[in-house]
Amino acid sequence: MRTLLPSDRRGGRYLLAAALCVLTTLGAAPLRELLDLANIVMLFLLTVFVCAVRLGRGPAVMAAFFGVALFDFFFVPPQLSLAVADAQYLVTFAVMLAVGLITSHLAALLSERTEEAQAREQETRALYELARDLGGALAIAQVTDIARRFLGRLDMDVSLLIAEGGSEVFPFRQYGGRHLSELEQSFARSAYQRRSIVETDSLAGMGAAIVFLPLAAPAHVLGVLALAPQRDDVDELRQQRPLLEAVASLLAITLERLHYADAAQRGELQVAAERLRTSILSSLSHDLRTPLTTLVGLADTLVHRQPALPEDATETAGIIRDQARSMHHLLSNLLEMARLQAGNVTLNKEWQAFEEIVGSSTRLLATLLADRQLVIEVPRQLPLVCFDAVLLERVLCNLLENAVKYSPPGARIRLFARAGETALEVAVDNDGTGFPSDRIDQVFNLFARGEQEPAVAGTGLGLAICKAIIIAHGGMIVAENRPGGACVRFTLPLGTPPAVEEEGSA
Amino acid sequence: MSETQACVVVVEDEPQIRRFVCDALGKEGCTSLQAATARIGLDAAAAGRADLVILDLGLPDMNGIDFIRDLRTWSPLPILILSARSAERDKIAALDAGADDYLCKPFGVGELLARVRALLRRHWHSGESMPRHQFGDVEVDLVRHVVSRGGAEIHLTQIEYRLLAVMLANRGKVLTHRHLMQEVWGPGYREQGHYLRIYVGRLRQKLELDPAQPQHILTETGVGYRFQP
Repeated sequence: MRTLLPSDRRGGRYLLAAALCVLTTLGAAPLRELLDLANIVMLFLLTVFVCAVRLGRGPAVMAAFFGVALFDFFFVPPQLSLAVADAQYLVTFAVMLAVGLITSHLAALLSERTEEAQAREQETRALYELARDLGGALAIAQVTDIARRFLGRLDMDVSLLIAEGGSEVFPFRQYGGRHLSELEQSFARSAYQRRSIVETDSLAGMGAAIVFLPLAAPAHVLGVLALAPQRDDVDELRQQRPLLEAVASLLAITLERLHYADAAQRGELQVAAERLRTSILSSLSHDLRTPLTTLVGLADTLVHRQPALPEDATETAGIIRDQARSMHHLLSNLLEMARLQAGNVTLNKEWQAFEEIVGSSTRLLATLLADRQLVIEVPRQLPLVCFDAVLLERVLCNLLENAVKYSPPGARIRLFARAGETALEVAVDNDGTGFPSDRIDQVFNLFARGEQEPAVAGTGLGLAICKAIIIAHGGMIVAENRPGGACVRFTLPLGTPPAVEEEGSA
Repeated sequence: MSETQACVVVVEDEPQIRRFVCDALGKEGCTSLQAATARIGLDAAAAGRADLVILDLGLPDMNGIDFIRDLRTWSPLPILILSARSAERDKIAALDAGADDYLCKPFGVGELLARVRALLRRHWHSGESMPRHQFGDVEVDLVRHVVSRGGAEIHLTQIEYRLLAVMLANRGKVLTHRHLMQEVWGPGYREQGHYLRIYVGRLRQKLELDPAQPQHILTETGVGYRFQP
């Protein structure tokens, strides 16, 4: 770090140089008779050289002139006069001055270089220490502290602005430093967006000079480093820019490391949470299914007993069996919803015929649908659609079950499908009371029920699951009333099915 | 049961489920050997008298799939799997490993016995040749390669015919998509599931009364197909 000496010390150097010249004169005076004048010139040159090495260029130049004057005054005849008797001494003076100036220049250059090298080494060491400190940092607050400590030595006020999204105007979170004015915030934003240094000075009508350095890591810009020198010296700030840029890039690398470490840790946590959820769900599912399976089986055994039980006992056993079954159904819906709500269901999508799940779901619900009039309007030449068959079957089953639940025996239930331009359009409607018109927009919410009083068994899970599944497939689902009943319509994106090579004629 | 008394090995770790399964089998005239672990189950099946194995996939001591693979190395006994409805992957793995059919929990006595009867019938008649099949109003003559419906001959393409033949040969059995692709199209087409969907659709349109609600070529969603005469 280059620091210039205060002016009083600078004056001292000149005095010292002058004193050295005087001292040389005093030392050489007694030797006037013994030494040749040429050797006395050497003594003065030595003095100039010493001044150049120890005191710098200015004092050495002064020493050169002063030395020539002293030499002339005290040693060159006529002595104690600046007049010169022999003109050849003028050559001596010129050479003496020239040698003095050149030496002083060279020596001064050398010492400046040394000083510079030392300063650079100091800077490097400081940066190295900064890097080492930052290497141990585990949180952004710690990084801020380290940066403040480092830049504080340069009398700078430090703020770290970390990009965190948030508001459009000031998408940062500020660590340390004073409050930034609106104008300063906009400068910070522009440094961040343009990935370039923005510098302002106190003339710009702001509190103080301030420089905004983007914290640019290889992948992206992580934020902005805002620096305000407390001494409000723009030139100094410019001088130190290479150092400040180095600091900014060290900070950026550290912040990126923290970012990735954080992300990795979060990922690990998420995986662990996911594993826990899955294992809870699967053990729940096993532990609840087993007794229900037993209940259904044993009750059914009683129903089919030979010789038959009394009629009311058989009937009771049948009710137990059916209730256990519907409880199982509810459990499956609950578990499915929990799985869907976790948000990371992997759809087992394949190109397949929609017609197939129409057949399989109506077969699954055959007993339930037995006393309704089921009308299926599915054209024969529907294109293949890419969907998860198990989940879509659940959608159809839930819709058909609802249609049965909210319609009287003998009512007509219609399952309709057709290929639209971009999507397969499916509708299930029934002849019944329809959805309550004031709450029709809530029927897809979890635990919303069609009727205020739960006169009909159900949980309000069914439609919520349908919606989650259809949304996961990139489709849409709506509920509406039509004259004389309710209708739920959904779509599935069509896409382009894979090509099929037709076989040669048989 | 009209045939000689069948012997069924029931491998299930839940005693109550085992109890009602064996109870139902008993009423059907079958004797049952109860096994709470896979090890006991394998030993019971190896004892030589068994005609059918009913296997719960969630056993404590052994993976159900390993049980099937193990059994299949030395026995062609029919295997009926009991599994949860949502566990399609397990079912497919079990069927591909050699299981014959599955039943989703919870199930009633009627469903269980229907599956058991079908499997036993096929097991006992497995040696017989079946050159002619009849289902609904369709007749298939495998010797003359003729398929007719309501007396009128129907034209099937080679692939449609092969698909129908594989299904007829495995009546009542669940055939996974993979298995059917392999049998009809060969190993290169294993990942081309949409071919199967298209050809099953065409077969249904030619042979089923209502292709949207098929009575014979049934979809086992997420698993495969089952042909039911």
